[in-house]
Amino acid sequence: MELFTLEHKRLWRTPRVWICVLLCFLYSVLYGGVLSFQWFVFGSLGEDTTSPYENNFDGYFAIRDWQERFSQFGDYWTDETLQKIVADYESYDPMERPGLQSMGDWILASSYLNKLYPELEDNANQTYQPLIHYVDTEKLTDFYGKRQWYLDFNLEVARQGGLLTEADVDMLQQMNSQIEEPWKYGWTQGWNYILTGALPNISAKIAPFLAISLGLLFSGEWHDCTAPLLHTTKHGWRKLARVKVMSGLAFAAELFVLIAGGMVAAQLIFFGTSGWDMPIQFIKEVAVAPWNMLKAELFELAFIFLGVIGYAGMTMLFSSLVKSNVLALVFSLSITYVPNLLGRYLPLWAQNVSQYLPLVGAPTDIFRTNVFHIFGKGIWMPYMLISVPILIGVICLPLAVGSWARRQRT
Amino acid sequence: MELSIDRLTKHYGHKIAVDCVSATLGPGVYGLLGANGAGKTTLMRMLCAILEPTAGEVRFDGREVSAMGEAYRDVLGYLPQDFGYYPTYTAAEFLSYIAALKGIPRDRAGRRVRELLETLDLTAVADRKIKTFSGGMKQRVGVAQALLNDPKVLILDEPTAGLDPKERVRLRNLLSEYAGDRIVLLSTHIVSDVEAIADRVFVMNAGRFIMYGTVPELAEQVRGKVWELTVPREQARFWQERCTVANYRHEGEQVVLRIIADAKPADGAAACDPILDDAYLYHFGKEA
Repeated sequence: MELFTLEHKRLWRTPRVWICVLLCFLYSVLYGGVLSFQWFVFGSLGEDTTSPYENNFDGYFAIRDWQERFSQFGDYWTDETLQKIVADYESYDPMERPGLQSMGDWILASSYLNKLYPELEDNANQTYQPLIHYVDTEKLTDFYGKRQWYLDFNLEVARQGGLLTEADVDMLQQMNSQIEEPWKYGWTQGWNYILTGALPNISAKIAPFLAISLGLLFSGEWHDCTAPLLHTTKHGWRKLARVKVMSGLAFAAELFVLIAGGMVAAQLIFFGTSGWDMPIQFIKEVAVAPWNMLKAELFELAFIFLGVIGYAGMTMLFSSLVKSNVLALVFSLSITYVPNLLGRYLPLWAQNVSQYLPLVGAPTDIFRTNVFHIFGKGIWMPYMLISVPILIGVICLPLAVGSWARRQRT
Repeated sequence: MELSIDRLTKHYGHKIAVDCVSATLGPGVYGLLGANGAGKTTLMRMLCAILEPTAGEVRFDGREVSAMGEAYRDVLGYLPQDFGYYPTYTAAEFLSYIAALKGIPRDRAGRRVRELLETLDLTAVADRKIKTFSGGMKQRVGVAQALLNDPKVLILDEPTAGLDPKERVRLRNLLSEYAGDRIVLLSTHIVSDVEAIADRVFVMNAGRFIMYGTVPELAEQVRGKVWELTVPREQARFWQERCTVANYRHEGEQVVLRIIADAKPADGAAACDPILDDAYLYHFGKEA
């Protein structure tokens, strides 16, 4: 334990590590969280509406306005709710308060209209105005029936395209049947941003900070010429390697807690907890998971945490395999950057496989209907995306220990 | 207690770094002399069990050291040639960290660290970051870490590099005092360091031991091959180009040359008592 404490303290004292942690916190929590909430995502529109950085610095109050405005439409989502929101939009003068339009649930209503009520479109409409501008609200009925039809249609297209089997469709429909109706309702755009913007952004951006912090954990000992010395100490082989790995994992977990904790704290301050029990179908209508927003957030946090641990495992393995800091960094960064930058040039199977690498896949897969097949059995993709990265990381850990704890051949 | 080396060999591709060397080391101070590239560091790293030999083995008290693992490292102290340290650590912190790696319990480690800081004259700078140290101070920290676990086998690669004369004397005395019933092996280019403290000396060239013995024994090997010749100053260059000149001393308009040669180099040359330097130069000549 003492060795772990000393090693962990040493890791945190390394300048590049705390600089990385600081930058990661500033980028993810301050920029991606606090400033987004208060300023350039939820702040009311300024005079120049072409740039989000021209928004007013009033997000905290704007969010409360949104929550209050949309609470008048009831606690449950019914045909009447949709009709009222559409009617509200039609009667709303966007010039009344600049910016009110940007984060209202009219966006949600408009999306539903376009997808679930295409028959109401006026094909003679030459101004290409969205349906919400002119639809007859009386005709907005049978919302849940329309949604079921739209889901059936999407699943059938996927089945005919070979993406899903008959059994997959049955499994997804079974999941969908567990969604309680009518849906609980409140203002949705805050949760939408958290689940499709803020948290996925952490997942996508935390990797380089981890790579720089942990990529040199083992290779740095060669760079600093301390490796030969450490290797001649009693615990300098397996025990030190185990302690380094534990320290690396602890660091990854601490970084996650700092970043995710900061983000959740900011979320609670700005948005509160209202709407936690709304279904995720408010974010994507064809989502089949019978989950509410809170469960989805917990899944995304778990996805990031397990990805971070898996990524840390891979990074530490690379670090133990090479003696060059540069190579260790390049290999570590390539885990995420190669699939992201070169993904489109890879064959489809390689693109699919790369999604299982830590911090490569997206937590937003919970809104999709992808299915992974293993031994003929279909597994809803998010379950694979959350479990495979951590398995990869765990497999890497003993390999990293073994790689460090061996006599050198050269 | 015995450290035995049996036909130890290390190849790097076609290059032979250590070529089938054998020796048995009992308690005492051993010096390892050799020019750059002679194979000293490679040999030492194999003795420390951190480098895999191509052939041969190292045994400590009859047991193969790589198989002993932790048990061997528990009795080993090593100062690598390029001693690495953590720049942001103070001397005391660094030694405490190495003590933990050596498995020394915390309370004993604290005492031992203080003792060694005192012994190596580092107490006053114990809380300063190592990156602010001079080369000699860093080297003393390196020696201190090697001594932390009171090792039975102490292997020091160029321990006097970067030390000023006073520090070198202090270190030599420390090692002499420390040796007792332990095995101390030190490599160096500085023959006088070995001469002052080594009970026995290995001279290494091209991966092989070319000489082994006590300092007087090695010196004796070149008796009759060390000459003093007094020549006019303008002839000094001629002799330096033609022979191995161990020393060059002015005496008025004349120069006294100490020449290493198999035969008497000139009529006026007089044989003199050899020292270890002469034996070393006899084998390494101008290379040294």
